[in-house]
Amino acid sequence: MTLKKGLLGKWLIIVLPLLAAGLLLFPTFRASQLEKQRLELVKAKNETALAAFDKENGETLRKNKEQSLKLGLDLRGGIYVTLEADVIRLLEESAMRDAVDDVFLETLEKTRQQVDAGGDDDVLPVFLKNFDAIARPKGRKLFSYFDAGSNRDLSEDAIVKRLERNINEAIDQAIEVVRQRIDKYGVAETTIQKQGTRRIVIELPGVNNEAEVRSLLQTTARLEFKLVRNNAQIVRTFYAIDQLLKNKGVDASASTTATAATASTATTTAASTATASAGSADSAKKDPYAGLTDDQKREKFKKDYPFTSMFVTYFNPPGEGQQPIPVIYEKNEFPEGDYSFQIPDESVQKFEEIMARADVRRIMGTEYQAIISAKPEPFFERQGVKLYYIYGVLAKPELTGDVISDATATFDPTNNAPMVMMDMNADGSASWARITGANIKKRIAIVLDDRVYSAPTVQNKITGGRSQITGSSTIDEARLLEIVLKAGALKAPVKIVEERVIGPSLGEDSIRKGIISGAIAALLVVLFMILYYATAGVLADLAVLVNITIIIAVLAAFAGTLTLPGIAGLILTLGMAVDTNILVFERIREELHHGRSLRAAVDEGFKRAFNAILDSNITTMITGAILYYLGTGPIRGFAVTLMIGIVITLFTGITLSKVFFELILSRGATTFNLGQPASEKA
Amino acid sequence: MQFFHDTKIDFLSKRRIFFFASIIINIVGILVVALKGLDYGIDFVGGTEVGIKFSGSSAVQTEEVRKAMDEAKFSGSEIKSYGKSDEFLIRLPNLVGKDYSSSAIMESLKKAFPNQTLTLLKVDKIGPKVGAELRSKAFMALGLSFLMIMLYIAFRFEFLYGLGAIVALVHDAILAFVVAVMVHDLGIINLEVNQSMLAAMLTVIGFSVHDTVIIFDRIRENREKHKNMPFIDMVNLSINETLSRTINTVMTAVLVLIVITVFGGEVLQGFAFVMLVGFVTGAYSSIYVASAFVAWYLESVKKYDLHVESYASISAKAKA
Repeated sequence: MTLKKGLLGKWLIIVLPLLAAGLLLFPTFRASQLEKQRLELVKAKNETALAAFDKENGETLRKNKEQSLKLGLDLRGGIYVTLEADVIRLLEESAMRDAVDDVFLETLEKTRQQVDAGGDDDVLPVFLKNFDAIARPKGRKLFSYFDAGSNRDLSEDAIVKRLERNINEAIDQAIEVVRQRIDKYGVAETTIQKQGTRRIVIELPGVNNEAEVRSLLQTTARLEFKLVRNNAQIVRTFYAIDQLLKNKGVDASASTTATAATASTATTTAASTATASAGSADSAKKDPYAGLTDDQKREKFKKDYPFTSMFVTYFNPPGEGQQPIPVIYEKNEFPEGDYSFQIPDESVQKFEEIMARADVRRIMGTEYQAIISAKPEPFFERQGVKLYYIYGVLAKPELTGDVISDATATFDPTNNAPMVMMDMNADGSASWARITGANIKKRIAIVLDDRVYSAPTVQNKITGGRSQITGSSTIDEARLLEIVLKAGALKAPVKIVEERVIGPSLGEDSIRKGIISGAIAALLVVLFMILYYATAGVLADLAVLVNITIIIAVLAAFAGTLTLPGIAGLILTLGMAVDTNILVFERIREELHHGRSLRAAVDEGFKRAFNAILDSNITTMITGAILYYLGTGPIRGFAVTLMIGIVITLFTGITLSKVFFELILSRGATTFNLGQPASEKA
Repeated sequence: MQFFHDTKIDFLSKRRIFFFASIIINIVGILVVALKGLDYGIDFVGGTEVGIKFSGSSAVQTEEVRKAMDEAKFSGSEIKSYGKSDEFLIRLPNLVGKDYSSSAIMESLKKAFPNQTLTLLKVDKIGPKVGAELRSKAFMALGLSFLMIMLYIAFRFEFLYGLGAIVALVHDAILAFVVAVMVHDLGIINLEVNQSMLAAMLTVIGFSVHDTVIIFDRIRENREKHKNMPFIDMVNLSINETLSRTINTVMTAVLVLIVITVFGGEVLQGFAFVMLVGFVTGAYSSIYVASAFVAWYLESVKKYDLHVESYASISAKAKA
């Protein structure tokens, strides 16, 4: 039998797509096969066999997995996170520290409000617009705040370009750092993508420890070693802040929530000491606290010392065995020496708010900083009271985290507490030796993300480039710390703005239900088609089968993910594909009814139906495209399967079905059972 | 097999009644929804939503869960049952400064219900900014769809038909939405206004115009073929000719969607149900809204007597 050229072409139209689909789907099939085998070995706990398997098939498995169809998070379980880089914070930190003033902060604040309300707008233009509106009229220029680097070009343009570059670099760097952290955390098949100008979308399949993931992703991990300076200078600065705030009428009592036992004990102690010292001081002076109730004393105390009433200050007299003496900020006379500061949990937020004020910052100056400890004091915590330490430190770090070459989470041999050991590189080790050598018997604070993790006293010069961070509550926490230290610090702080966690059981449940409903729906449709359209119905069903196979293959080719809405999209496409065929069959029936020959009817049918099919599919395509651009996550999966489905349906519905008919006609058929009434079989 | 063969139903004669009825139902629907307010999912208002399954010897009541949450200082929680009994959705609003972690919630619940095993089904956290963004994007998506589809239809057919198609679309969208809100209120299916619902609405819009296009396409063909047939008769003929196909398609789609609504699980249920309603109204609106609109316009605005004028005479008059 000789195959006419035209016929060969037609067979190819049917066979080629199927072959292509098979090829594209093969990796998925092979990968799942290998996975199953591997799982058996893992279950059997056969280490040697597992190693051998990995050696032999590891590469194949990995390559096949890359080209496989992936299951979406909602089917597999996992975490989906959208991170947003705090570009405004980045701008603030890019500015020269001592140049920051009210005007600048106001501009930033205004920018933040606008950016928070709007969408994913570019921050820099908004900032520049506000700068023009707020700062320029007050005579400020960009180079008042931002140094132009080594470039001598102080022009505004150069600065803007530099800022832009910083921002883009920071976000790209953030993506890299996040990728490193996730790699080390040990999640496979993650997706990390940039979204818009400053968002990162991360998918972590199979993970469900939400707290750990938050920690892992949101920690900036900026490590700094700073010299502790709990000296009279700091105390004098605190005094100045008190006076400033008193003059401005700022109320510290607004911070403490309800009855904070420690705070009131602290203030009562301080208040009574104030009474005591006031009484023992200049006797000619009237006691301002005389005759007041305890509550009134507390209130007055807070008003008199708006800042320092939030914490307790002690002077540590030199020498062994001396008791710390509480300090009152009544007069600006403070002995030189060592001080310590304790602040209750409830006041921490207000403390940080006050320190962030521009006027307070001016008083603090650029030399010193007041940083709070990361963890509450363990002794008091065991008694149920959360007390933190405040450290006065030199603002400029002696050493930063980029000298850390390695970090290991381990247990402290002396007390079995979890900790992280850090190794430094050559430069770092040399600097560290120098710093520790110059500061023996003094304290160095290890600061991570602006919180003091520990402030040990230097016993001797450290030459090995080793140091450690203590204070992690659990070994898991230490491990997270290890990961972020190893992966590096984020240049721009990030925040989680969207988070979805799918538990594994829900995922399995969804798959099961999706497949069952899909199967039932498919069965019903197949039956209906055969019932109503007889032989033609069978053809339509075949075409739809090819349809779905190709769609899945195309998805696999793009290494796409199948989500639950995606399955819904597939099922819907099933319905629409059927509709395309119905349109054509009804038309063919009609033409047969009008007395055309089978050949002519088929031709007419396809031709006439084409317009309607095209129009309706294009309109559905439009909505699919809109959904894709404006939706997130699983909805996108739906849009993608819908759009791919439409394209493929156009192919199978028109071309493929026609080819089926052509093949039948080529065998000389003159009648065809489309389910029409007997009288019309031409 | 053939159900509808050579039907000669005069659809358009009753069009005024149906058109009117549609308008009234739409207005009533909108009023009811406006008065009741919409139940937004956290997609659009932000918040934290935790899905928990209790498996233990005794059944757990919604009230007990709510009390446990209040006592654990997670105030302002909203508890909904989710899927089977003993599965709950706990929703907490976004409060400044508070960060609800699912582990904290799980811990408190474990303490409150010592005899139950808790499984975490899912957690969704949407920051307020993202919530607002998704909301505005949703409106944009709807508006854009309407516009693009109208333009496309106007381009492929005529502007008047584009208008007719849009009126039918808006009608379908409103009806599907209103029915969804009412069914949600009755507590049968969880149909809060979230991204899924938006996707369903957009798909309804996309598919609803499908039906309308089929009829319009037939009209386009018939008005050339039967140039001198009175307009009303020509439109009726077009509808009758496409009836078989319309019924079949709607039936297969409805079949598929019913299966998903019943068997597809909570996540797909709401989605499928909205589409189901949309499909049915879509078929109805193609006849009694889209085509009726075109007829109404030619009759009441252009003042043609459609029982007499044919397409040929109308275009001749329009050109004059």
